[in-house]
Order: sequence, then structure tokens, then C-alpha cells
Amino acid sequence: MELKAKGFTSIKALLVEDIEVCRLVLSTFLLRLHCEVTLAMNGKEAVDLFLEGKKFDIVLFDKDMPVMTGPEAIVKIRAMGETDVKMVGVSADDHAMEAFMSVGADLFVPKPMRMEALGPIIQEVINKKKNDMV
Amino acid sequence: MVPEMGYLDEQFNQLEELQDESSPNFVEEVVALFLKDSPRLLSNIEQTIGKYPQDFYRLDSLVHQLKGSGSSIGAVRMKNECSVFKAHCNDRNLEGCRRSLQKMKREHATLKQKLESYFQLLRQVGPREHAVNSRK
Repeated sequence: MELKAKGFTSIKALLVEDIEVCRLVLSTFLLRLHCEVTLAMNGKEAVDLFLEGKKFDIVLFDKDMPVMTGPEAIVKIRAMGETDVKMVGVSADDHAMEAFMSVGADLFVPKPMRMEALGPIIQEVINKKKNDMV
Repeated sequence: MVPEMGYLDEQFNQLEELQDESSPNFVEEVVALFLKDSPRLLSNIEQTIGKYPQDFYRLDSLVHQLKGSGSSIGAVRMKNECSVFKAHCNDRNLEGCRRSLQKMKREHATLKQKLESYFQLLRQVGPREHAVNSRK
């Protein structure tokens, strides 16, 4: 499912989250930051999107999800050669940071995520994209 | 008000800050989603506790979902009790899980009541700009 903030499509974000309430809150944060948001319910759906050739600037993964976890999905997506896309692990689990960083995530943010934390991350992605375009 | 009574933390304020003209009922929608999902999760936890042999893995998974959705709306007491429950699962302490579930159900019932009263009050008060104009 794709969500688009009116008039702004600068950053393509994929949100991988199985809990509906968390999906609603995080996707709203991303839309407020003018991202074009695609939703996936688990790691496998995220992997399938990449296999279909979809491109994203940033992917936010929950850790524990049915079918395929966030770290498992990161392993598979990185193995496809997707080294440029920013991968962010998001979890309330105390041991999640190590689980994400050990498999190639760029960043870990504890849940619940705050706008103050997400804003600078998105800005960094925007800056990198602008620099790559020059 | 609910946030001042220790039932909700700063995350609830974050949701209120996301509410604007394009999403005027955002907070109520998120809370409604939580209140729709959470009874189902509590019921599933209760059913799983009653099964033999005990499935602590499933219990942990269910309470993890409840903790995640609760913390997304700032339900701090629910979130904390979920952490207690998870610790009991880790220790394979069924009696501890049972006690914790009863607390979660009580906290949930209280939170539901307070949130519903809160939104009812907001609807009665009306949008802020109307309240300001009425004082002129």
C-alpha cells in the first residue's frame, strides 16, 4: 500500500511493521516529513517489494514480525546488492540494537519513535539524495 | 485529564501534535484502533494461558504486540505491565503471567474508560478556536 503526502514526493520510505497501531502512527510521522510511504506487514513482504524491482531511499523495520523478522529481511535485501538504501531498525526490545546492527542496519531507533528522532534521519537521507544528484 | 493521571506518557502528546486540519481526528482514530485490537489480544493471551502444555513463546509474542500498540499511544501503565508479563514468560512462571494478565485487564478497562471520557469531553468543548471566540 502506498501513501503520499500531497505535493511532496522527495523520499521513498518503506515501513515494515506488523502491528496496525504502530503502522498508523509511524506512517503518519513519515507523511508529515513529506515522505512517499509504502507499507509492508512483515519482512517477507519487504523482500518481495525489492525483488519486484521497487526502489526506496529508506526502510524502517520492526524487529519481531510473523513470516520473516526485520533482521532476516535486512540480510536478504543487502544480499541483493541494495547497499545504498538506508536501513533503520525500530523496536521496543532491549536486545534489538545488536540484532539489527549485526546484520547490516545503518541505524537503530528505540520504540516508540519520536518525531524529533525521525526528522534528522529523513533530513540526512534528503541531503544524501541531493548530493548524489549533483 | 488523562495525561496528568499517569496513564499516558509523552507519546500521547506526540500524537496530539500530529493532529491538524488534514487529520482533525487523528488521535481518536489511533486510540480507536488500539481499543479495537487490544481486547482481542487480551482474550488471546487469556486463552493461551489456559492451554496445556504452556506455550510461553506464543504468550510472549502476543504480549509483545500488546506492548507495541500500547506504547504507540503512550499507554505507559499497560506498557509497563506488559514488560512484567514478558519477564514472567521468560522465567516460565505461569502463575506470574496469570497475575500480570489480571492487572493488564484492569489497567486496560480503566484506560478505556478514561480515554472515552476524554474524547467525549473534547467533543463537548469543541474545536479550540470556538472556545477562544466564545470569550470575546
